[in-house]
Amino acid sequence: MTVDTLFSWLGGLIPAMEGSGTLLVIAILIPCLVLFLVVAVNAIVMVYAERKVAAFMQDRVGPMGQGVGLHAGKWGFLQTVADALKLLTKEDIIPEKADRFLFILAPFVIFIGAFVTIIAVPFGETIIVADFNIGILYILAMGSLGVIGIILAGWSSNNKWSLYGGMRSAAQIVSYEIPAGLSIIVIIMLTETLSMQGIIEYQAGGIGNWIIFANPFTFIAFFIFFISVLAETNRTPFDIPEAESELVGGFHTEYSGMRWSFFFLSEYANMLVVSAVAATGFFGGWHSPISGYFDSNGWGVFWMLSKIVSLIFVMMWFRWTFPRLRVDQLMNICWKVFLPISLINIFGVGIWTLFFG
Amino acid sequence: MSADQEKLITELVEKGLAGDMDPINAIEDRVLRSKAKAALAKAKRAAKTATTAAPTEEKPATETIAETPPSDNPNKKFGKMIEDTFQGSLDAELNDTHIQLKPDNWFEIAKWLKSEPSLYFDSLQCHTGMDVGENMLEARYNLHSMTHDHKIEIRIAVSRDKANIPSIEQIWRIGDWFERETYDMFGIFFDGHRDHRRMLLPEDWEGYPLRKDYEVQETYHGIAIPKVKVGWE
Amino acid sequence: MGVIHGEEMVLNIGPQHPSTHGVLRLKVKTDGEIISEITPVIGYLHRCFEKHCENMTYDQVIPYTDRCDYLAAMANNFGYVVAVEELMELKVPEKVEYIRVIMAELQRIASHLLALGVYGLDIGAFTPFLFMLRDRERILDMFEMTCGARLLYNYMWVGGVSHDLPKGFVETAFQFLDYFEPQIEEYNNLLTYNKIFIERTADIGVLPADVAISYGVSGPNLRASGVKWDLRKNDTYSIYDKFEFDVCIGDGGQGTLGDCWDRYYVRMLEVKESVKILRQALAQMPKDGDVHQALPKKIRPPKGSIYSRTETPRGDLGFYIESDGSPIPTRVKMRSPAFTSLSVLGELAGGWMMSDVISILGSLDIVLGEIDR
Repeated sequence: MTVDTLFSWLGGLIPAMEGSGTLLVIAILIPCLVLFLVVAVNAIVMVYAERKVAAFMQDRVGPMGQGVGLHAGKWGFLQTVADALKLLTKEDIIPEKADRFLFILAPFVIFIGAFVTIIAVPFGETIIVADFNIGILYILAMGSLGVIGIILAGWSSNNKWSLYGGMRSAAQIVSYEIPAGLSIIVIIMLTETLSMQGIIEYQAGGIGNWIIFANPFTFIAFFIFFISVLAETNRTPFDIPEAESELVGGFHTEYSGMRWSFFFLSEYANMLVVSAVAATGFFGGWHSPISGYFDSNGWGVFWMLSKIVSLIFVMMWFRWTFPRLRVDQLMNICWKVFLPISLINIFGVGIWTLFFG
Repeated sequence: MSADQEKLITELVEKGLAGDMDPINAIEDRVLRSKAKAALAKAKRAAKTATTAAPTEEKPATETIAETPPSDNPNKKFGKMIEDTFQGSLDAELNDTHIQLKPDNWFEIAKWLKSEPSLYFDSLQCHTGMDVGENMLEARYNLHSMTHDHKIEIRIAVSRDKANIPSIEQIWRIGDWFERETYDMFGIFFDGHRDHRRMLLPEDWEGYPLRKDYEVQETYHGIAIPKVKVGWE
Repeated sequence: MGVIHGEEMVLNIGPQHPSTHGVLRLKVKTDGEIISEITPVIGYLHRCFEKHCENMTYDQVIPYTDRCDYLAAMANNFGYVVAVEELMELKVPEKVEYIRVIMAELQRIASHLLALGVYGLDIGAFTPFLFMLRDRERILDMFEMTCGARLLYNYMWVGGVSHDLPKGFVETAFQFLDYFEPQIEEYNNLLTYNKIFIERTADIGVLPADVAISYGVSGPNLRASGVKWDLRKNDTYSIYDKFEFDVCIGDGGQGTLGDCWDRYYVRMLEVKESVKILRQALAQMPKDGDVHQALPKKIRPPKGSIYSRTETPRGDLGFYIESDGSPIPTRVKMRSPAFTSLSVLGELAGGWMMSDVISILGSLDIVLGEIDR
């Protein structure tokens, strides 16, 4: 439920503080804590899933164990928990000549960039923390905050390699915002609203109404959007900033322990958000594919999560299949291929809507 | 060597010339066996030159070139061509295995070897250094032609104190690294090499390891170097 | 492109780095992302192989040759043993020849699989690496079945081999070949014709044929530049003249002739040719024969010297051996193919970007053990 409903519900609960500022703050904090848990659980599950998916695609088994307390838990479920414990107990090494304040600040900035966007993601009909009327614009805008964090990380490490990684990453993310944004414009043209719930309502009525099947231009727009957000979250084939074999670790070379894990927490949070945006914009959000059936609030959460999970699975699939692109080829594709196609898409959708209604 | 042993060796050599190697191989005494084998090899060589020398005795020796029939062996053939083109560059007699050259105009000879159309040695296959004893070091070049598919070996001997050979790294570009390695291991200086420094050992290493009289230095940057165990072979 | 020069940065790649294939240091002068000059610095793995050889007998040298190119140890053994046998004018029984060819070709497949897999890994494709290693494991299992070792075998001895083929080896080998041939198609689908891989490797690091010959480059690197030169055909040793196989050369399939993709593709083609040779050798091999029959009691080559070459997975391996009639060689010089391949890096990498240097280095397929000895 949104902050507003929570606020009024709490007001009803504690009439003495109804309408007060402290209640508002509490009404804001509770969903944020829940979201924080969501992000944490998401990271744990996705790290485990990534390792298992990678293993099965590479003809091996991945992390395995015999049961709770024995190795990594049955089927290796407790692997991520073990990793997290290990990272927490690691020595915190800050290079001597590194800019201390920025070095410590950088992971937090990246995390903030990812976390702040989750509040606008609709998980169900009434399950959304803040139903902005500019929802999708807000997500795109706040998602770009992460770039600052990456540049800070690269710069403050006082390491040529990290600097390279930070610069490349910044160039990449900033460039790919444009095709992503233009593809979102295609959606907005059809739904005539920026609000996330509004976009989902437009697609009510079953799978035929989903925007991805509305016209061929939106179909193409989905692919452009999906590949652009792959680049924004630094996933292969666009993971040049993290390219192990070239720059050792890219912008997070000098980080160790929990600070390092923050980068990956943010990456997975980002993946969650962009998958949610894709699911909202193109796949009908929390609507079920068969209109009328499995349509309640609870089912809504199920449909939304399954769409998000499938898209995340595709992202992982890409990572273990494709080699990575060189940085100038990446930029080439963005500016010379995706940008013209996105612009053509916009025209196409406009003309289509004009003629076919 | 006693008279007995000499007689035994002559017998074994005769048997060996007839093709029977077993008596020689069956000798227990290592020294005697090696002497027998050396004598056999010498006898074989003598027999060969005797057969090649025999037919030419019938012809009057008018020209020195026709004394021995033109050899198919590439070392002899090309050694002759080198001698004809660059007088006085051969350092020893022509033979089957290699061409011995003097270091003086090696660069010009090398350039000619690479560019001359009938030779066209475009590939320097291997470059070895060798400590041949008697205060001499040698550099050996194995050249090969990809187009004509013939190969020769060239050896250049220099004295230990003045081990200078012209560098051919501009002709065969692999010479760059090969010569650096030979310098590193043997201490032969290649005049004209544009980047003359050690290859495998650190820049400040002392001595040239593959020379037979090489003594390992005691310490390197303060770390004591362990000695080779005595009598380990 | 406009000329805006930033300051030149001198970077160091290695000696510890995931993709320098060993302990190799590259001093790189860059101007932004473009490399202006690259200098390899080697010697970090120098173990004085040649000096050791002057203190050991001829057969004691063989385990040392294993450790030079540790990813293709059979081929090193083969090269050395062929050289010593040529010097001694020793003939080996036919069964031994066949076993040697079988082992050498299996080693060629194993080495190429590793080279190709690691190249994919450098470019960023994780999965083909694991698939190729899985298949390489089956070859290593066969080696282990024969001589007990997976990586460093000491298998080929002067005059024979150390162990005869165990029972069931030929069946296992045929099973492996039947399983493996369709896998090559899978690799082609996954990596070779992948658009991103082609973009990362085609037209990059073009090596012209005359530069290659001048730098002494040999093996797949030379053949990818269009030069039809394979020692198994041009300078035949052992019994390679009994088998029918093609010499694979690059043809500029995706981009220029002699680029990284060609070097990758030639290796892939060579794997197919090795499978062909293996099938013929396994079928024609005589069933009985004593592999230890021609081992000499004492290896004493006559006085003289010899330079003999064989074709290893990385190129022409040459051994220059000088003997003075005693059981201990006077000089053994190992002319390694990776040494010459690495020397051409300075020429190839100027003007490319950092990622391309990794790409070029991977395509040359070097092993530091061989370069430094």
